[in-house]
Amino acid sequence: MYDPRLAWMLVAPVLLLLIFFLLLPIAVMLVYTFFTFVTAGVESATVTLANWHEFLTDGYYHGFLLKTLRVGGMTAIICGILGYFPAYFIWATTFKHKWLLLLLLIVPFWISFTIRTFSWIHILGEQGLINVTLLKLGLIQEPLQMLYTEGAVIMGLLHFLLPYMILNVYVSLESIDRTLISAARSMGCTSAQAFREVTLPLSLPGLAAGLMLCFVLAAGSYVTPQLLGSGRDALFGNLIYDTIMGQLNWPMGATLSIVLFMVLGCFAAVYTRYMSMSQIVKGLGG
Amino acid sequence: MKISTTKRLERLQERHANGDISRRTFLTLTAAAATTAGLNMPWMGRALAATTDVRFDGWGGVVQEAIDKYAFQPYTAKTGNKVVQGTFGDENEIITKIKTSKPGDFQVIHSSGVNYYIKYVNAGATSELNEANIPNLANVLQPMIEPFRKLTPKLSAVPYDYGTTGLAYNTTVISPEEAKEKGAAMLADKKYAGKIGGYADMTTRVWYAALDTGQDPNNIQDMDAVWAKVRETRDLAKKFWSSGAELMDLLSKGEIVVTDAWSGRVAALQQQGHPIGYLDPSGSYAWMEDMLVLKGSPMAECEELLNFMLDPATSIAVAEGQNYPPSLDPTKVKLTEKIEKLPAFDPTGQMKALTFADPIYWADNEDAWQKQWDRISKGA
Amino acid sequence: MTAATHGDREGKWAWRLTGFMTICVYIFMFAPIVATVVLSFNSSMFGGFPMTGFSLQWYAKLLQNEQVLQAFRTSLWIALVTAGVTTIIGVITAYALTRFEFNGKQILGTLVILPALVPETILGVGLLVMIKAVDQPRTLWILILGHILLAVPYVVLVAQARLVGIRRVYEEAALSLGASRAATFREVILPLLLPAVVAGALLAFTISFDNTSASLFWRPAGVETMPTQILSMLKISISPEINALGTVMILVTVGIPLLGGLLLQGLTRLRRRGNSTEVEQ
Repeated sequence: MYDPRLAWMLVAPVLLLLIFFLLLPIAVMLVYTFFTFVTAGVESATVTLANWHEFLTDGYYHGFLLKTLRVGGMTAIICGILGYFPAYFIWATTFKHKWLLLLLLIVPFWISFTIRTFSWIHILGEQGLINVTLLKLGLIQEPLQMLYTEGAVIMGLLHFLLPYMILNVYVSLESIDRTLISAARSMGCTSAQAFREVTLPLSLPGLAAGLMLCFVLAAGSYVTPQLLGSGRDALFGNLIYDTIMGQLNWPMGATLSIVLFMVLGCFAAVYTRYMSMSQIVKGLGG
Repeated sequence: MKISTTKRLERLQERHANGDISRRTFLTLTAAAATTAGLNMPWMGRALAATTDVRFDGWGGVVQEAIDKYAFQPYTAKTGNKVVQGTFGDENEIITKIKTSKPGDFQVIHSSGVNYYIKYVNAGATSELNEANIPNLANVLQPMIEPFRKLTPKLSAVPYDYGTTGLAYNTTVISPEEAKEKGAAMLADKKYAGKIGGYADMTTRVWYAALDTGQDPNNIQDMDAVWAKVRETRDLAKKFWSSGAELMDLLSKGEIVVTDAWSGRVAALQQQGHPIGYLDPSGSYAWMEDMLVLKGSPMAECEELLNFMLDPATSIAVAEGQNYPPSLDPTKVKLTEKIEKLPAFDPTGQMKALTFADPIYWADNEDAWQKQWDRISKGA
Repeated sequence: MTAATHGDREGKWAWRLTGFMTICVYIFMFAPIVATVVLSFNSSMFGGFPMTGFSLQWYAKLLQNEQVLQAFRTSLWIALVTAGVTTIIGVITAYALTRFEFNGKQILGTLVILPALVPETILGVGLLVMIKAVDQPRTLWILILGHILLAVPYVVLVAQARLVGIRRVYEEAALSLGASRAATFREVILPLLLPAVVAGALLAFTISFDNTSASLFWRPAGVETMPTQILSMLKISISPEINALGTVMILVTVGIPLLGGLLLQGLTRLRRRGNSTEVEQ
């Protein structure tokens, strides 16, 4: 009934795209990690392990890698907590125009990412909304330093990633058969029990997908730290960007990119395993 | 009609021989031109357009607006040649792109002087201008041309404007006397901790650290002291800015009271009435900008464009628009009062008062220093 | 049904908390945007509070900016093509991944989300190096294909999350009743999947319209997309004009999600009808 040949035909366009625009370029990059850096913008095809040696022996890179994973993880978890509420609210509300609520949450998502990131300066800056208001009220004498901190970077990342999270959770909630909840309630479950036993588990695939997305996008970002953080708040992506665009050291930049790629790939592998387990949960529900 | 077609074919042939256009484009254009020989067909326009469009990449914003308004639009009106414009935010970005494109994809670049010029030279991306086609080059300051000629006897670029990265300070907090007395030391003055700024650029940071440690930026002996100073400024700084807009924003809002700054941007702030003073300390970092023609460009058209841009009337108008003095020799060309008042303007035309970066010295150290700076800027 | 979710006292309390958090998230999402819109009318050269006066000069300036208008048209066109193509191939792939068994399915499933995992810098440079290696010029099509690559994972993920929730019994019922595979897909799955399709298409459009880092590498010489244009403006020019540009973009882009939202609304109604049939069954 399920013909594998048909399946291959269905996935062919995406597969070709992935091969020619993803795998092959990554292979080229992988080759590049063994090239020798001559001077800014010039490299030779002489095979060397210098780039890998530098990465493996230099604590500077390790520190930033760990920090990037920490910031990415924190951002994803906060996103998950903050994002679940609106997604659940929109899904469960009896409000007639709930599409409007959904739409309003997607609208920020539509405004250029660069503009949105930059706009935080109007809120957190010394002449930003918060400082100006607090100063006017006399609550503080000196403007608070909020911009150019790790907090500001996480704030910017949250702002950018929340819609991804909410969309994912919402789509997953929407696919829940609501009669299940009614059934649970009619069988004597409290609303909390119904949520814990029915709604939450069934929305987990969306939450997991959202967490994965947020973590990865946060860990791979470099524009947000650039605009909202100080140099110290740089993430691994900034290291890559600076190495490639600033130092024009493509072999080292390629090495760092491949490292980030592999590390995030491990997380993706774990996630895929988790997802297949959740599919079993789903199967039981069906 | 017939003659012009023949001429055009010859021109195409010539460009093909020079490797300026690919064989395929050449054949297509030749075929198009040949089939329409003697007939005025719409094809013709395309074949002609391919020979006359000039591609320009610059810094965008107010600077490029000025160039477009005062140079490109009149040029197009006069010659019929179109200037296709692009922008970049960081010159390394465009070098990366040039590296990965074909000769001719990018043609004229608004480049940041010899420090960058040498990168194009090393990447083999420079061309050879026929100076005979640029008579207005005679008006350009010789001291500005020389550093380029040192790198390539046959120029690939013409100097266009110059400026300095001096010290800008908020006059409501710092008096001109104090600024003058302290000079570069203000950038590491604990009194202004958290109110100091600076350009997030290796050259600028090392340059000012060298000045503050009493060294010659073009011949640094104690590099450890320089890096220590860079770290000191980093720890006292509120933020290292990375664009002219950000610099103006930080200064005008009073978020920083002292920073190294681009002379033209400070001039713009002063014109808007902000209480910002500007000082070029001894050994202040001077730089120039040039119009660079890359290998594979339609040379005749580019030379014509450069000549047009160097025309005193055009050059002065652009300079007033972008607040940077033009490369014109003030002893040969009468400049306007507004230009003479611009910071960094050198009325003598000797450029002796200005210290430029020695391109060879800086290029030799660029890779290692850039790497170290990247680390320091990230808290290492 | 909603009563079921917050019927008891505990539920009411939890529901209030949810509502409160939702409002907080809304404020969080909108405060910077509102600030940007408000400051776009600031007469000062700099976008800081407090306002120094009301002015429309930044809008006037924007409308004369041919580069911005051109970039806007380019981005809109690229994003529309990207959204269309990505949604079609993405949904089909998600369908194949959830409903078929074939060798290499797991690998493909991981592979397909890779473009989202690989930092755009490496995708950007990698593709660039490869294009050079095979001596191809950068064209608009390369840029569009690149955008499709970046958007595919999101469409697949959204469609997959939804497909996992659609029980196979519906399809199996349809198939056993003699409907063809294509008909089953069209008549049973697609209607149930439509919210995800619309969400995916909107996501793809946004990803393309918003993309900055990769576009910087891939755009052909002479082409500016909206974000690269904004970025170069941010780096050089002054913020009130960018605030104005942001405001204009909000006005324009809201039109498209608005249509999408209406569509989604219609689909939800359709889906509800589907659900009620399911209850009858």
